[in-house]
Amino acid sequence: MMKTPFGHKVYAMAAEYPSAAALYEAAKRVRDAGFRRWDVYSPFPIHGMDEAMGLGKSWLSGWVLFGGVSGLLTAALVEFGPSWGLYPVNVHGKPWNFWTVPAFFPIMFELTVLFGAFASFFAMLGMNGLPRWYHPIFNWERFSRVTNDGFFLAIEARDPRFTEAGVRELLEQTGGQHITIVHED
Amino acid sequence: MSERSQTVPTPEGEYFESTRFAGLSFLLGSVALVALVLCALGAVVNPHQFSYSWLFAFAFFFTLCAGCFFWTIVHHATDAEWTVVVRRQLENIAALLAVLALLFVPILLLRHHLYAWMDIPPGHEAALDFKRAYLDFNFFLIRAIVFLGYFIVASQLLRRFSVRQDRDGNPQFTIWMRRVSFASLPMFALCLTFGAFDWLMSLNYHWFSTMFGVYIFAGAAGSSMSLLVLVITALRQAGYLKDVVTLEHYHIMGKWMLAFCIFWAYIGFGQYMLIWYANIPEETQFFIARNTQSWWALSMLLVVGRFFGPFAILLLRSIKKHPHRLCIVAGWIVFMQMLDMYLIVLPALHGTGVHVSIWDLLSLIAIGATLGFVYLRLVPRTSLFPVRDPRLIESLKLVN
Repeated sequence: MMKTPFGHKVYAMAAEYPSAAALYEAAKRVRDAGFRRWDVYSPFPIHGMDEAMGLGKSWLSGWVLFGGVSGLLTAALVEFGPSWGLYPVNVHGKPWNFWTVPAFFPIMFELTVLFGAFASFFAMLGMNGLPRWYHPIFNWERFSRVTNDGFFLAIEARDPRFTEAGVRELLEQTGGQHITIVHED
Repeated sequence: MSERSQTVPTPEGEYFESTRFAGLSFLLGSVALVALVLCALGAVVNPHQFSYSWLFAFAFFFTLCAGCFFWTIVHHATDAEWTVVVRRQLENIAALLAVLALLFVPILLLRHHLYAWMDIPPGHEAALDFKRAYLDFNFFLIRAIVFLGYFIVASQLLRRFSVRQDRDGNPQFTIWMRRVSFASLPMFALCLTFGAFDWLMSLNYHWFSTMFGVYIFAGAAGSSMSLLVLVITALRQAGYLKDVVTLEHYHIMGKWMLAFCIFWAYIGFGQYMLIWYANIPEETQFFIARNTQSWWALSMLLVVGRFFGPFAILLLRSIKKHPHRLCIVAGWIVFMQMLDMYLIVLPALHGTGVHVSIWDLLSLIAIGATLGFVYLRLVPRTSLFPVRDPRLIESLKLVN
């Protein structure tokens, strides 16, 4: 773990950029330099930033599929189980074998959607490391402008390619201003 | 902010060289001619079967063209960006509605074979007397003229404005097209719904379903988007639209196919389940005819092939961004739309089981080849995409 001369743990090295376009260009340079643990911050979503950062495909969809299939199977189990297996009842002369399935579709559909929604919500929280009460990036005073007009990029110290001199040079080359070390605590 | 560099198209646009496809055009024209002559023969030899076959083929192609018209008006009404590059083909297909209006004439001539309610005098059938105010031939004729007339006028207006904008780039045409489209949204819904009631639902005057219009619409929108994928890919195969339509556009078209695959299933199941559950003889007879005998297999094929199969496949992004794979799915969906129309029309004639007739096939070929022939005459007249649309550049640079 990197430390400052005063003994603070180092979270990241960060820089501020004058515009969304400058941040976008900087992100491409950082991506091409091979860094993995870094992020950009802006007051609004920037189109194409995921590509500029080289983020690739999110696997949230995998979790949603898992949730949806679990919901479908749960519904099938709790519907077919009693009505076909445990306690068949003749309702309105409807069949009580497999062909009563149209009556079950609404519940199957709803549980699929419900479990899929739950899965997407909780997996999203998990993948983003939420809930989280505090983030070290807020230790940098200038960062408060991120909700107003500030565009920031931070490369974390735990990135294997992180060296103080190397990252400082890269951030300078990409036009970063107010380059600083951000403390972990 | 896109990283993709795009070649900005020349103001002249891209033109379809009709001379390259003179052979295909001649082939379609002669096939259409022969098939139409044979169909005229069929109308004399076996008018009962032929009238149903013709109605089936008409309904299939009508839903495809009306669906393309729908996508055009939605494009203008929502000021959509991605559709610009494919819009001219939507307009060309929608313009075929004028030809379909002519091909509707045989249905009027053979109406007594199709619609039993036209021949039953008042006082013989209580269920029918109740509906006389609506099910009346003169009113039926007026409605058909209004529906088809509206489709012709609106689709022609939209195409004319769009083509004139190609010449001078006047943004006023965009405003006018938008106005036509706003007026068209409710008109389209009414014309398609009541057209479906008149021409398809009234094949059995006992039966009714308030969801039937939406059901036809859902099938029309999804299958016409699939048809668009096929047409655009065919044009790209021929070497056109290469730099204009990108994989991003395919991705969106694939998403719409998926969306309407789900919507069709939602509406189709909604219609089925309410009738199945309520179990009222007046309503269930429609599904009993289609769920029993040999029709059962086709109904199941429709359920699986129109929803479950394409749904699972279209979830994958790799399919939607791969034109040839998407084309296989699109072709399948168009085929399923044909099956859907077949299952709506033909069981009304052959209530005891599937009975495939040569006239089914000949009607399909006759109408299909006629429309294909006219389409090939329409395409070379204008650029393949609206060259001076104000939103063209945005559409070319589409990222989604």
